[in-house]
Amino acid sequence: MSDKKFVRLIAVICAVGVITSAALVIYTVRLYNNASIISYISKEEVPYEEAS
Amino acid sequence: MKKLHKQLLGAGALVLGFLLFDLSVYNLFTKRCISDYSEGMQVKSIELGKYLPFEDSSAIVKLDSEFKLTGEDLPVLDGATALYPVYSAFMNSVYPEGSCKFDGTDFAQDSLLQKRNTVGAYKAVVEGSSDIIFCAEPSEKQLAYAAEKGVELEFVPIGAEAFVFIVNKANPVENLTTEQIKGIYTGKYTRWSQVGGDKTLIAALQRSEGSGSQTAMLSFMDGTEMKKDYNSFLGRSIGYSFRFYVEDVVADGKVKMLAVDGVYPDGESIRSGSYPVIDKFYAIYRKDNDNPNIPPLIDWILSDEGQKIVEDTGYVAIK
Repeated sequence: MSDKKFVRLIAVICAVGVITSAALVIYTVRLYNNASIISYISKEEVPYEEAS
Repeated sequence: MKKLHKQLLGAGALVLGFLLFDLSVYNLFTKRCISDYSEGMQVKSIELGKYLPFEDSSAIVKLDSEFKLTGEDLPVLDGATALYPVYSAFMNSVYPEGSCKFDGTDFAQDSLLQKRNTVGAYKAVVEGSSDIIFCAEPSEKQLAYAAEKGVELEFVPIGAEAFVFIVNKANPVENLTTEQIKGIYTGKYTRWSQVGGDKTLIAALQRSEGSGSQTAMLSFMDGTEMKKDYNSFLGRSIGYSFRFYVEDVVADGKVKMLAVDGVYPDGESIRSGSYPVIDKFYAIYRKDNDNPNIPPLIDWILSDEGQKIVEDTGYVAIK
């Protein structure tokens, strides 16, 4: 693959990747703004750390 | 050939990097925001069809009353989602059959029973499209809207409900003082270890403006400004709601209610008044509404029969 083609391929992957990630982040923020507080709290999964 | 391998490997690594990032975001954050209600929560996710009046299969409290409203000018009832089972039961007991018109998904325009939720109901009573609404205290914005329209509202307390603070079941904290809760929501306390828990960050969740529980929270804060929380994705949460919504999720074992100032919000402590955060809810109507059926209906709601409906639906009677 020529360098020019490779650069194009990388540019396409980056563009698609950034757009997808941005869309996911926007979707998540919108979900968060409308999420039920009770549901959100009930799904907290990370283990609790002992107080030092 | 070697160059092509390197190029493909680089491109593959880039794709994998994006995929890993998206998967991590989904697993850590997105998934948690999707409200897939547990069985206990479904019980209290108010579906209009489940609590319809005049239906044999309805889940409302059914009480046969000798008092009946008749005539043409029957008041349109409306209100908060959490109180819909209460005022639907009022209609079932004293309105003539056919007063409620439901098309399978929503109420018809000319139905005497509506459910526009707190924000919509306050607007409807001010504008005159609903006669009596059943809601918690209004927000400042809702009062200002009434004043702007030149409308005076009458508030008749008809029941009470505990305003509760909730955390995940795994959170070791069982009790908070009023001062600690206020401190959490003003940003004074940012870690659970400052209020008797572990050393993780506190995510102090809030609801949208105008909702019944947000208005109740603002009233609890008593004028102290709440700080917008930006730790919500990282910290361990605390939230608030009315007990009616929460008690079945508590039974599911995923969420727990906190004692406030050492008092746990159960039926007894609410009735006795020892639980410190109790909010009244009201029947609200325009003072200039001359519908002749409003005063007798309010009297009946405050009678033993009306109060029994309040109590049997899961709230605390006012009398």
